[in-house]
Amino acid sequence: MSPLSLHRMGRLGLLPLCAAAPIAWSAPETPRAVMPERHRALLEQHCQGCHGPEKQKGKFRVDDLPLTITDLATAERWQKVLGAMNSGEMPPEEEKQPEARIKTDFLDDLSQVMVTARKSLGDQKGVIALRRLNRREYRNTLRDLLGVSVDVSELPSDTGVQGFDTVGANLFLTGNQLEQYESLGRDALEEAFQAHESAALNKKFRLEAESIHRVALKRNRDSLDAMERVNRWIRAVDEAAARPENATIVGELRKIAKTDDALRYHWKKIPGAPSPMEFGFDKTSEVNPAGVYLFRDRTDFIRYDEYYLGLPHLDTGSYLTVTAGYGATGAAVIQGLGIPTDFPPGEYVVRIRAAATPDAPAGRRFLEFGQKGFAGGGTPAMSVHHITGTLDAPEVIEIPFTFTRQSAERKFRNLFIRERGAGDQGKIAQVFQEARKRNGFGPEAALWIDWIEIERKQTPPEATPPGIRALGSIPFDKEAAAPEPEKIRTALANFIKEAYRGTAAPEGLVDRLARIYDARRGVGDTHRDALKQTLASVLASPRFLYRAEPQPDAEHRPLNGNELATRLSYFLWGGPPDATLRALAESGELLKPEVLTAQTERLLEHPNAAQFIRPFLTQWLALDRLDLFQFHKGLYPRFDDATKSAARQEVYETFSHLLKENGRLSDLLSADYVVINAVLADYYGIAGVTGDGFRKVALPAGSPRGGLLGMAAIMAMGSNGQRTNPVERGAWVLRKLLHEPPPPAPANVPEIARLAGKLLTTRERLRAHQEDPQCASCHRKIDPIGFGLENFDAVGQWRTTDSYQALDASGAPDPGARKTWTIEAAAQLHKGPAFRDYFGLREIIASKKENFARAFTSALIEYALGRPCGFSDETLVEDMVKQAGEKSFATREFIHALVRSKEFQSK
Amino acid sequence: MKASLNRRHFLQTSTALIALPFLESLGFRRFASAASGAAAIARPKRMIFLGFGWGVTHESWYPSLEQKGPDYELPAGLAPLARHKSDFTVVQGLVNKYVSSGHAGSTFWLTGANEFGEPGQSFHNSISADQVAAGFLGKDTRFDSLVLDCGAAAQPSGHGQGLSLSWDSRGKPMSGQKTPVEAFHRLFAKDTTPLEQQKAMLQQRRSVLDNALENARELQRSLCKTDNAKLDEYFQSIRDIETRLSRDEKWLGVPQPTPPIAEPKADLAGYQEIKLMYDIMIAALQTDSTRVLTYRQPVTTLLTSLDVRIDAHTMSHYPGKGPEYLEASEKRDFAQSQLLAGLLDQLKETREPDGSSLFDHTTVVYGSNIRTGHSLENCPTILAGRGSGIRLGHNLVVSKDTPLCNAWLTLLQGSGVSVERHGDSTGVIPALIA
Repeated sequence: MSPLSLHRMGRLGLLPLCAAAPIAWSAPETPRAVMPERHRALLEQHCQGCHGPEKQKGKFRVDDLPLTITDLATAERWQKVLGAMNSGEMPPEEEKQPEARIKTDFLDDLSQVMVTARKSLGDQKGVIALRRLNRREYRNTLRDLLGVSVDVSELPSDTGVQGFDTVGANLFLTGNQLEQYESLGRDALEEAFQAHESAALNKKFRLEAESIHRVALKRNRDSLDAMERVNRWIRAVDEAAARPENATIVGELRKIAKTDDALRYHWKKIPGAPSPMEFGFDKTSEVNPAGVYLFRDRTDFIRYDEYYLGLPHLDTGSYLTVTAGYGATGAAVIQGLGIPTDFPPGEYVVRIRAAATPDAPAGRRFLEFGQKGFAGGGTPAMSVHHITGTLDAPEVIEIPFTFTRQSAERKFRNLFIRERGAGDQGKIAQVFQEARKRNGFGPEAALWIDWIEIERKQTPPEATPPGIRALGSIPFDKEAAAPEPEKIRTALANFIKEAYRGTAAPEGLVDRLARIYDARRGVGDTHRDALKQTLASVLASPRFLYRAEPQPDAEHRPLNGNELATRLSYFLWGGPPDATLRALAESGELLKPEVLTAQTERLLEHPNAAQFIRPFLTQWLALDRLDLFQFHKGLYPRFDDATKSAARQEVYETFSHLLKENGRLSDLLSADYVVINAVLADYYGIAGVTGDGFRKVALPAGSPRGGLLGMAAIMAMGSNGQRTNPVERGAWVLRKLLHEPPPPAPANVPEIARLAGKLLTTRERLRAHQEDPQCASCHRKIDPIGFGLENFDAVGQWRTTDSYQALDASGAPDPGARKTWTIEAAAQLHKGPAFRDYFGLREIIASKKENFARAFTSALIEYALGRPCGFSDETLVEDMVKQAGEKSFATREFIHALVRSKEFQSK
Repeated sequence: MKASLNRRHFLQTSTALIALPFLESLGFRRFASAASGAAAIARPKRMIFLGFGWGVTHESWYPSLEQKGPDYELPAGLAPLARHKSDFTVVQGLVNKYVSSGHAGSTFWLTGANEFGEPGQSFHNSISADQVAAGFLGKDTRFDSLVLDCGAAAQPSGHGQGLSLSWDSRGKPMSGQKTPVEAFHRLFAKDTTPLEQQKAMLQQRRSVLDNALENARELQRSLCKTDNAKLDEYFQSIRDIETRLSRDEKWLGVPQPTPPIAEPKADLAGYQEIKLMYDIMIAALQTDSTRVLTYRQPVTTLLTSLDVRIDAHTMSHYPGKGPEYLEASEKRDFAQSQLLAGLLDQLKETREPDGSSLFDHTTVVYGSNIRTGHSLENCPTILAGRGSGIRLGHNLVVSKDTPLCNAWLTLLQGSGVSVERHGDSTGVIPALIA
């Protein structure tokens, strides 16, 4: 009987959900980490002589090494064999070496067996450890409970160890962290109190763009005037210096002041030379004319101004300009766009009435919005917006954003809008100079702004967050007197139930909290502060920070309604259940399969599902690699921040689209459509897509796009920001798409150094991997896939040629040492089919729908259940793949199958 | 009353050693009377651990294996350390035998644990050498240890899993101060609250902790064994805070030391950031705020600050790539050696009250679990300082497969830490002892 069928038998004992009896779990493990018998020969022929019963060199024997690994000690011994062979240490150089093919196969199998052994020995056997809220769940929970957004960036990211950030075993807690929870809880309550006090406040502020431009115009006129005055002063000094009677003095001065500019520093010594003050400059200019010279060279800007002032619609609006440095009319960044100081934190919307100029190129019809100080340093944009309005018919775009209390406290009230890329100083100087060379003045204006409006929205009473609502009628404004003790006790009990996601306050807790409240009052706290401190201790208590699923004995048991609701909402929303889900949980309705399915659907359709999609995909597909390196801006100017951010978004939006439409998961392998917005359409060269929203766009036949492999983000991850990395790409495809993860990069394999600096194509360079068994054992699987993807450059653009530029000793490009070649994407998969090009490779990968479904399923299990997906989960994996397979691998079916499983529904 | 009894009981039964500082301790007296220049007793031992992720350039960093002993030629990668040549030892041949990942330069560097050593778990670690030291050397200072890190730069710098170089007694990752500004504030932030109020606040903190403890006990009763093992972290956290509060209480009214350096500027990255962290370490030792320090150094931002545009991981695989990769790797080594030389300068220049220098009482450990690329053999290791009585000025080649933990054990014992073993140690390294 195969291990699989054994497992199926184990599952026959599955009990219906509502049964209170402990649940029968799957059958015991059959060992899986087995080194094939045929490899014994290599050990016998090449190792046993020294490491056998007689010699036992280094006290290490291989003759009694079991082929089946079932314990750590055996695993360590095999690890030693693998390590010694990978490093080339064994067999010793002077000894006869195994045939390369045999050694390669040996290493290939052994490294896979070791992965299996590690997985098998580390299997948690279905146990889901008590889970703490991870960093983002904690943030989302406070948001849902109190309606606030706290800055959690100081908390550990929970990705420190391995696997998903939901895996309970990794969710540590330390004393420092517990104190951070206490202080963040207080912050959140303070913000919630303040927000509640100003909930009804609606405020609006509108900035007419022509007013900015009037300021800029005046600044410019002043600057022109200053220029004219400088030049008059210069002429006056030069005239004085030229007078024959001053020749001796000037001659002396010339010895120390070689240039005319330098000479004028000594104007006081030249009889008849006037003071800069006579020309309207200030006192310091008398001492140091450098400040005067500053105003002299404004000719660049004058030309630009002449152009600008000739533009239409200046009376009603202003253009966003792309200028390098101060001085031009108009505004590179809209100045003076601040949230007025009497506007409190809260939910905001910014509206901008804008248009693109008739001649603006497609790539420049984008506007960036951001908050100064939002992320510090270079101030990246928070969002990018496609401007589709025209000067005759401008459009109003709406940008919602949250103005947080932290921002308010740090006085981060400045907002900005700018043309896409205008924040990139290095690039802008280049763009400006190039345009000036071309047209004599600078970049033509592309975006026109009529007005900008900032509105602070009021919170309608029905949107009062549940944690605040739970406090009922007790006041918490700064002057409030303390209410009756009974009222406080009621409020505390209600708050606890909300914070504990439906679990009532355990006995004694309200008493203890009431004592904390009294103690705080006793040391002089106001009612408000004492209340805040008391509630904060709820937010640092284990029942809030952990998702407790009580289980006094080791038996598995079905979850109750509240627990199931909590698992479901943290899975699909990354946050606590809402009122609807809680009501169904408390009434027990949620335990009915059809209700559970309907709720799963509802949660997936809710905007909060983004809190599942983003973190899940980011971690599953390892998208954080996109931020591991800087993309070379000189080589890839089009892959700017806006493109990179849209490219990342494409991955989320495509999956989101599949969820929404319940589309086939295999569309991620190959599809005749993409889900993109205007930024990406421009990048991919697809016409007719406008606006910021992502939508499904059909692809022309023969397009390399469609599916993950055609996405700029995925291909860019497989580079180092400058050059493609076929190995990284190949390994990623094996890991994520084909579910044949290569073993972790082995230690101590000697690097291939002899090709350094040689003029070779990428394939020629990588061919060296096939020469040594240590390399070939993995690279024969990885590299061919990487070759098939070489038509995508380091930023995911299609290319047909590549080149290598060698550098000389000084590090400069050596003009004589450059090689350019046509990309040859044809290759053959190890023990698999050959393909002629990228399209052939994509077809092969797309045919492996089941592998992909299994990869996805394993990741989903790990993410949702918060523990590694082990061999003991094989039945679950098979069931999910089977159930989804019956519905053509429709994306939602995987989620339904998991939610229906006993693993999901029991502790 | 009941609550405080509870706590006492709780603290007694806790596994944590609660070492309360006593005001008459050496450390305090030294600080309180630094101006009068008293104190002539043996100076306390200090230990510094510096880890740099992606290893070194193996062609130009290691002295020749042939030139053992004091008369070796300093290789190019160590050139900036020339003026200290007789004051540090390069140890060659150390390994962490359980580590098989080529991407984890720091996870097990100071612990020597077997990642897979715990059946039923996919990851396991144990206490790091610095925390062992902190348990002994950290009793009399305001902070038992100071853990420094480089935040977001750590991941791409080849350190592997973890939140710093430090792992606590349960093998859990410890987080640390991520920037010079944070570290500075941790050490020198002034509490201007009146003493009475501080006492009242401590009392408040305790009653809140008592409640947290009750909450945890209530939950504990309903949980199964595995979950309780997890919840134990919560109990341990409360204990940690309690321990700290007790420490704080003992230090109540003792003025915070005046920082010997100016408050660092924000937004420094790379070379200047590391240099500043070193300055802060010296300041921490100078004020006797702590005696054990670790620092997980950034590599990726160091490269950027050196004008190298190659990402750190790619650089670490320089063999087989263009000369610019090798050059980047060597540039990194050189910069790191320069920084280390600067730190050693400062240790030598900083005087102790008895006229000796910090260098005389400090051990500096500088290295990584990765040699180059994915090579884990002969982990780069430099040991300096006279704090643990080791032999300096040598190119010490140890026998093959000597555990890194043997070196840590030698240093710990040399610093007066009474431990028999550490991690996978098999004994001390006799040749390292002066």
